[in-house]
Amino acid sequence: MGLYIHIPFCMRKCNYCDFLSFGGVSEEEHKAYFLSLLHGIKGYDEIYSNKYYVDSIFIGGGTPSMVEAGLIEELMAGIHDSFIVDQNAEISIETNPKTLTKKKLNTYLEAGINRLSIGAQSFNDALLHTMGRIHSAEDFLDNYTLARECGFRNINIDLMFAIPGQRMSVWMDTLERAIGLEPEHLSFYSLQMEEGTPFYSMSKAGSITEIEDALDRNMYHSGVKALKNSGYQHYEISNAAKEGYQCRHNLKYWSMEDYLGLGLGAHSFIDGVRFSQTEELTAYTREGIWEEKGGAIVAWEQKNTRQDNISEYIITGMRKLDGLNLIDFERRFGQTIEGAFKANWNSLQKYIDDDYIVKTAGNMRFTMKGIDISNRILTEFV
Amino acid sequence: MNSYQQYIRNFCIIAHIDHGKSTLADRIIENTGLVSHREMKEQFLDNMDLERERGITIKLQTTRLIYKAKDGQDYIFNLIDTPGHVDFTYEVSRSLAACEGAVLIVDATQGVEAQTLANVYLALDEELEILPVINKIDLASARPEEAKLEIEDIIGIDAHDAPLISAKEGIGIEDVLEAIVEKIPAPKGNVEGKLKGLIFDSYYDNYRGVVIYTRIFDGSVKKGDMIRLMNTKKKYEVTEVGVYSPGPVPVSELTAGDVGYVSASIKQVADARVGDTITLDSDPTAEALPGYKKVQPMVYCGIYPAEGEKYENVKDALEKLQVNDAAFHFEPETSTALGFGFRCGFLGLLHMEIIVERLEREFNLGIITTSPSVIYKVVMNDGTVEMIQNPSNLPSLMEIDHIEEPIVKADVMIPKEYVGSIMEICQERRGKMLHMEYITETRVQLHYEMPLNEVIYDFFDALKSKTRGYGSLDYEFIRYEKSNVVKMDILLNKELVDAFSMIVHESKAYYRGRFVCEKLKEFIPPHQFEVPIQASIGQKVIARETVKAYRKDVLAKCYGGDISRKRKLLEKQKEGKKRMRQFGTVEVPQEAFTAVLKYDDNK
Repeated sequence: MGLYIHIPFCMRKCNYCDFLSFGGVSEEEHKAYFLSLLHGIKGYDEIYSNKYYVDSIFIGGGTPSMVEAGLIEELMAGIHDSFIVDQNAEISIETNPKTLTKKKLNTYLEAGINRLSIGAQSFNDALLHTMGRIHSAEDFLDNYTLARECGFRNINIDLMFAIPGQRMSVWMDTLERAIGLEPEHLSFYSLQMEEGTPFYSMSKAGSITEIEDALDRNMYHSGVKALKNSGYQHYEISNAAKEGYQCRHNLKYWSMEDYLGLGLGAHSFIDGVRFSQTEELTAYTREGIWEEKGGAIVAWEQKNTRQDNISEYIITGMRKLDGLNLIDFERRFGQTIEGAFKANWNSLQKYIDDDYIVKTAGNMRFTMKGIDISNRILTEFV
Repeated sequence: MNSYQQYIRNFCIIAHIDHGKSTLADRIIENTGLVSHREMKEQFLDNMDLERERGITIKLQTTRLIYKAKDGQDYIFNLIDTPGHVDFTYEVSRSLAACEGAVLIVDATQGVEAQTLANVYLALDEELEILPVINKIDLASARPEEAKLEIEDIIGIDAHDAPLISAKEGIGIEDVLEAIVEKIPAPKGNVEGKLKGLIFDSYYDNYRGVVIYTRIFDGSVKKGDMIRLMNTKKKYEVTEVGVYSPGPVPVSELTAGDVGYVSASIKQVADARVGDTITLDSDPTAEALPGYKKVQPMVYCGIYPAEGEKYENVKDALEKLQVNDAAFHFEPETSTALGFGFRCGFLGLLHMEIIVERLEREFNLGIITTSPSVIYKVVMNDGTVEMIQNPSNLPSLMEIDHIEEPIVKADVMIPKEYVGSIMEICQERRGKMLHMEYITETRVQLHYEMPLNEVIYDFFDALKSKTRGYGSLDYEFIRYEKSNVVKMDILLNKELVDAFSMIVHESKAYYRGRFVCEKLKEFIPPHQFEVPIQASIGQKVIARETVKAYRKDVLAKCYGGDISRKRKLLEKQKEGKKRMRQFGTVEVPQEAFTAVLKYDDNK
């Protein structure tokens, strides 16, 4: 099972961000949050007579690296108390430049954290400024070098493209410099204007201009090509890794495997049930809440129907470049994919005929051109 | 007059939309103690949700109330509510005919409006006693004295002792009630005479069939009587007579002077037409009441099931609506683009909008409506005449000698500062000004002759928009006139979509073509390929827009393990797709059909 821990704190919110995270929160509140979090972790131990076996842990956010390293240490200790953690588990933490120190990094390593994800986003300071990031390209390079020096052998660099004002050459320069650092893993996200973010209102007001679709796609395809040329495997829509370094934790999301999410607003999928924790920070950290609720503040829960499972199997699985194993599909659901989507197979067949999807006897996946319009195609499966 | 009639007052309330008719009706009902304030929903008489929402009355409701007057006597008030929109003039005139008097509401902040005037003239035609009241005196901008002067100047009736009221605040209601007793005459009529009753409304009840609202002028009617409808010549046995107070209350008989209902197992509202006269089959009156006319639809459009909607469901709903609405017509038709559907006839654009909304809301149906059209008189080379209400049925130009279109007389009343801009929009719509008059120092009435085609398109919206809501309109058909109209087609990705075809005047074709293309461009989502949108007359393309192909529809990041969020996004997208209608290779959202018809202030 995968274990996700959400740390909803940042130095400040970035202009494009609509994740569940808060800037400007005091250290006291961080502590209160971790207290609650640890209660939650303990809760799981106490509820179930059997301890869960965990082979991947992902501490995400927010910016988990901004809180005191001691808190992460306690968190890891709590996890080890309440779960059986595989010796070779992949244990990641999300970090942002300017928040890492040698001491922090060493504490992480000692706590068993073996994978570092650093949000570089861009190597262009002007763009970083537009995005509302608190760091420069140099800050990132410093932290990256430090992490290598401390002994991190598995590092991901997060990059973004289609940033308002970004030109093709600027994107490729960032990407090539990132590749030059030889990280084990690289994520490259197309920036999306999410409702409610500063970017969204700025774009509505006309003070920034959204990158045109054609350029966005051009950046994406050129990026993929450059990564492949440098020996990276493009294994998920927005992720590439060196051989053997695919993110095992994230692959669980895309393969309908069980995962438990703890912390504010975290989502879980266990035994065919999806559920999530409350998104209310005050509710989450209220004293006594754990005693009252007996271990989990579940805000939402849904038992997946067979149809739900089929849909999710496809919409998550198709994010992987390898696509779906149709033999596994048949074994899981007792029918072929054609049988499950008899009613609209005609439209799907058209996508196959037009080279948006490749389908063989045992496999179905998007082509590169299919990825560009994957949402539209996936609507056929929901 | 017998002693029973002496205590009856039959009246209606006439007012412009928003001047407070329904609110005053509510207060009158409340003050007569029929329904307590607490039980009342706002605007009691407007019982269709749609009416309450739009603040207009579509369907008449009649209520019998008992009022204890200051003279110590109990009076029977029959309050007959009337619809307040141009489309329903005939219904208004018939309900007026059932009354002896009318309470005329004039908004103290707005004064007399075109629709008020139109209805007052209708009331004067029926020789009703007009009882003016000035409403909304609680508002800071109220000018009651000016409103009184306007009534005296424009309508020519004495308004010096008109009650000053606020229906909303309940001020002056007692004065109105007393004035009704004092000023509105009691009904006359011979109770012993031969039965003569006016049908002024009817509705369909699932259990009782058609229920007729009637005003008895002479004689009486009771359960078991065999009645005859003089114009439709049909006979029915009366199963119940009664009054509404506010629900149906059966009574032993209705006699001369009474207003009430008669049910007689009539199957269709069309069989008991408004304006017809009921009499006893065994002892009929010699002459029907005057004024009967069969209302004819003026505006037509196609109604089609939306993607995924069943034809049969739409048909069932249309049948149910028709049972209740004699003015609404429909018949099956086929469109190349939309498949099987119906050609529907309406009194006007509002009537059409109401039917469409009721289909969507009450029947929960997904439908598509095509461009509304008036009825064109097409004179062929051989001299034969065809009446065409569907642009797609227009014969080939080679066979046509000429086309005539319906012209209406349109009366527009506006504050004087808008004269310039309104004359402009009238001219743009091919209006011919007959004359203009100053009704008061600040208010002007413009009289135009205008093609109905232009009126139904967006004239009303334009008028409202240009006058900030202060303009009002009334129109009536006057004649057919030869006109240079042409059929304009819309092509999506080179394929003709007949549902968008419309008949337009030659001089307007370019403008309309461009407008429709621009609107469609706004609404049609990007496809995998470029979609050209063209407007054409015959083979000639007169306007063109292009929807660029889309390149990107992908979610970069999957929010941690929040798969449900991703699924919801896809489901939403799928829902959007469902509301699309496929034309050849092009998907068009349903909203596009209405958008191409809407007035756009920016154009």
